[in-house]
Amino acid sequence: MTSKSKSLSTLKSSRYIFFFSIFVLVFVVLYSMPRLSVPLGVAYVFYLVLSPIVPFFEKFGVNRGAILGIVLTLFLFFSFYPIIKVSTSVFNEAQKFQYYLPKVEKFLTSNFEYISTMIEDKTGFKLDTTYIDNFLSTSKNTIGSFIYKIPNYLASVVEWVFLVPLFLFFFLRDGRKLRNLLLNMTPNTMFERFYFFIYQFNKKLGGYIFAKFVEASLIGFIITLGLLIMKVRFAFLLGIVAGLTNVIPYVGPFFGAIPALIFAATEYSMNDPKFSGVIFLYVIANAIDIALIFPILVSRIVDLHPIVVVISVVLGSQLFGVVGMIISIPMAVAIKLIFSEIYHEIYASRH
Amino acid sequence: MSYEKDILQSIQDGESLPQKVDLNILKYFWQASPVFGAKKQNIPKFLRAIDVFKNFTDNELRILCRHFHLRKFDSKEIIFKQLDLGVGFYLIYSGTVDIIVEDSNRIDEEDEKTPRLVVSLDSGDYFGELALLQENSLRNASAISRDNTLLLGIFKPDVEELINIHPIIATKLLQSISIIIANRLYSLTKEARSMKQKLFELEKELEDKQ
Repeated sequence: MTSKSKSLSTLKSSRYIFFFSIFVLVFVVLYSMPRLSVPLGVAYVFYLVLSPIVPFFEKFGVNRGAILGIVLTLFLFFSFYPIIKVSTSVFNEAQKFQYYLPKVEKFLTSNFEYISTMIEDKTGFKLDTTYIDNFLSTSKNTIGSFIYKIPNYLASVVEWVFLVPLFLFFFLRDGRKLRNLLLNMTPNTMFERFYFFIYQFNKKLGGYIFAKFVEASLIGFIITLGLLIMKVRFAFLLGIVAGLTNVIPYVGPFFGAIPALIFAATEYSMNDPKFSGVIFLYVIANAIDIALIFPILVSRIVDLHPIVVVISVVLGSQLFGVVGMIISIPMAVAIKLIFSEIYHEIYASRH
Repeated sequence: MSYEKDILQSIQDGESLPQKVDLNILKYFWQASPVFGAKKQNIPKFLRAIDVFKNFTDNELRILCRHFHLRKFDSKEIIFKQLDLGVGFYLIYSGTVDIIVEDSNRIDEEDEKTPRLVVSLDSGDYFGELALLQENSLRNASAISRDNTLLLGIFKPDVEELINIHPIIATKLLQSISIIIANRLYSLTKEARSMKQKLFELEKELEDKQ
């Protein structure tokens, strides 16, 4: 090897090392600073959702700065206003709900006793009470800690309200420059594939997040509205829970319905028309989701097989809990893209 | 005696000093020079000189060049390999690029595919246009830079961005690429026809001999 080609190959490998060390560095910094990385992540999610709006108006010759100003003002209005408006009612509901929990517990225990004596009378088999005790204590702890923490979550949301729009503004303004900077540093041999990969990933992730965001807000809205019309207490809280759990594919809607059903059974007894009304509302909301929102919005965007979706949700929940369930689908999309790239590299190109 | 000492001497002697250099005028002439400036600023000028972009206005070329990526390749560096998945169309800004085909029919004694040089392309030439239009396009040939080469590349994501933001420019770009492909198809058809003719003549010759 001549000295010139030797120095060229060292230059090439140093480019690779530099390129990959940027990723490692960014990952380490983000991992070690969650207070920075969480609002950055949220801002990135909003960037993916909002970024198609900017070119849409740019097409009509509107100045880019003006579009950014309008988008950000609207974003600030729609994020500040509901938080200020809803947070007080949610806060009140959450506070009331903790006094309400013992009633739910009493209802569940008495019902369980009733059922167990009924079974004992008919079959002679005595149910073990440890099940219900365990269930009650764990669910009390989880629900309790979640409900008590809602004001804390809201507080951190208020902190984000200042940071997220700031990051979002710079993402929207300098996103293209940042991408080009990264692309300039990309080694030649992997440039085309890397560029296409980040493009596809952002497009799919953006579409998925947008669809999920719309889906969750619609479900939350329908449930809250329905409960308000039926004059059921904790309408906002139950609506938010239904919207949040809806983000988890397949099993989410059931998780979202459980607290409402237990609450309705405790408050109105199972024979009350309001209880059937609540069941009906959840069935209707999820039917709208399954029949209309999901096929139109979500399934078209993420072309993952349902089995893959279920497996990734289960794996995500096993590894990272509820957060894992939510991020499992975008992770699955990324892994699928990487694997299809490798598959093409190994198999498709040989034909 | 040095210039500084000269000046010092004249200050001490109370003589008048030579006129100062006007930096602003110097700066103006430096910047007005056609040689001055980053290569990137000359990209619209470069595109203007290319025949297939003649339907673009100057402003459209200026916008279009923002979506091109200037990539630097060292001598003998592979730009892409045959059967690689391709998403980009390249224009040669400076340098030379060799287009090489690894022919599976031409296997040498060591049982290796022999690469065959199809064509050498120079500044102002272009290659890889099919990748911009085809889905899952596989490269028909390898491209290797012969010396230090600067390429202007435009890729599928850029075209999609152009379609969203500047539909007219995107249409003109796709029109230009269609012209390139149509020209290639026309010459290929012509070649195929003449080969068919030759084959026909050879067959006839063979029949006559028999």
